[in-house]
Amino acid sequence: MTVTTDTEAAVSLRGVKLQHDKFVLGPLQCDIPRGMVTAIVGPNGSGKSTLFRSLLGLEPIQAGEAEVLGSRLNGGQGDSYKTRIGFLAENPHSHENNLTADEKAKFSSYWYPNWDFERYYKLLRHFDVDGSVKLSKLSKGMRRKVELSITLAHDPELLLLDEPSSGLDPFAWKTMLEELRRYMEPGDRTLILATHIMEEIRRLADYILFIYRGRILGMYEKDRLLDDWRTLVVQQQPAVGTSIELLQRTPGLQGLTEAGPGLYRLEVDEPEQGETYCRSCGFQVLAVQRMELEDILSCLIRKEEARR
Amino acid sequence: MWLPIRIDEQRPEPLYHQIEVQLRGLILSGQLKESTLLPSIRELAVSLKCSAITVRRVYQDLENEGLIRTRQGTGTFVAGVDTIARDEHRLERATEELERAVAAGLQLQCTVAELEALFQQIIRRKAEEGKEGLT
Repeated sequence: MTVTTDTEAAVSLRGVKLQHDKFVLGPLQCDIPRGMVTAIVGPNGSGKSTLFRSLLGLEPIQAGEAEVLGSRLNGGQGDSYKTRIGFLAENPHSHENNLTADEKAKFSSYWYPNWDFERYYKLLRHFDVDGSVKLSKLSKGMRRKVELSITLAHDPELLLLDEPSSGLDPFAWKTMLEELRRYMEPGDRTLILATHIMEEIRRLADYILFIYRGRILGMYEKDRLLDDWRTLVVQQQPAVGTSIELLQRTPGLQGLTEAGPGLYRLEVDEPEQGETYCRSCGFQVLAVQRMELEDILSCLIRKEEARR
Repeated sequence: MWLPIRIDEQRPEPLYHQIEVQLRGLILSGQLKESTLLPSIRELAVSLKCSAITVRRVYQDLENEGLIRTRQGTGTFVAGVDTIARDEHRLERATEELERAVAAGLQLQCTVAELEALFQQIIRRKAEEGKEGLT
C-alpha cells in the first residue's frame, strides 16, 4: 500500500463561515489530507454535523471558500462531485421508513455511477443483515448496518461518517472497523468521521480535527499529540524553598493541579523541557506518564474556556 | 500477519521509535525470516492503534537501512540480513539492557564500585548456573 502525500487535500476550507438561528460555524481554516483518516472531535453542539452538511452543499456557505475533491463549493458547483462521496448522516431519514434495504440500495444505484451490487451484498453479509426487511422494522443498530453497507457500496473517494457506530453492538462495531480499514487499504481513499468514541479514534485516526463551539481548536497528528503530552507528578523538597509560582512558569505547561501536600500534577506538551525545568527548580519528579486522548482534549477545552 | 510489537505507555520514546526498534529487532534477530510479507501500513496502524503516518515512517526508515523492501502492488517484505549487521545488533541490544540496569542502580544511589561488584557477582553466578544446567 502506498499512502498519498499529505500535501494533497481532500477538503480545503479557507475562512468558511455559516450561520443559522443562533449557531455560528467558523470561520474555519483547515486542510484535510487525502489518503488519511481524520476524526472530528468536539462536545455536543460544536458544529460537526453542520460542517458535514455544508461539505455536501446542504448548508449554504456564507463566507470564505471551500473545496471538496477539487470542486469549489460556491453554489454553482453542481452535484457530480457528490457521486464521489459516501455520506452517512447522524440519524436515519424517516421518509425512507417504508423502503427495504434492497430498495434503498437500488435507489442509490441510480445515483452513483460506481455503484457495485456485489460489494453491497458482501457488506450486508459481513454485517449479517437481511436486505429484504423494511427499514422501519429494523432495530437502530441493524438499520445502521444497512446504512453503512449502502454508504460503502460505491467505494467512494471520500467517506463522511457522522457518528457511524451509534447503536452498533460490539461485534458489529468490530466489523465496521474492519470494513473501514479495508476501505482505506488502497491508500488513496479519505475518511472523515465525527465521533465521541475514543477507542474509534485510537484505532482509526491519523489526524484529529478538534472543534469547539463552532471553531477549530486545532488539527493534530494523533501520534504527535500522544507523544508530546505528558503528566508530570512532582514533589516539593522540604529543604528547598520552592513554590507553586515557579511551577506556573514550566515550559509547555497546559494544566496544573495540587495532588496532595507539596505534591503537584502538571500537564505539559514539552515533556523533556518541563521535566528539566521542574528539577532545576528543586522539585523531585516522581512520575512521567503518557496521557489518554480524552484527557488531552479536555485539557485543551479547559484552556480555551479560560481564554474566553 | 500479526507482529509481536508492544507499545509501552510508560516509555518516554515516541511511538514511531518504539515500533521501529522492535521491528528492527524482529528482523535482525531472525524471528522474521527473509521474504516474509509484512502487514500493510494501514493494517499495522490499526493493530497498534497508531497512525498510518507513524507506520509509514517506520517502513521508510527500515527500507533505507535495507532491512525491508517494498514491491509495488504486492507489499512490503523482509530483506536478507548479513551476519555483520546481526552481530552489531546483538551488541547494541545488550548495551541498551545494561544501560537500563545501570540507570536503575544509580537511581537507588548505588556507587560505581558497588555496581561493578554486583556486575561481577551476577556474571559469576550466571556462569555457575550455566555449568550446573549443563551437567
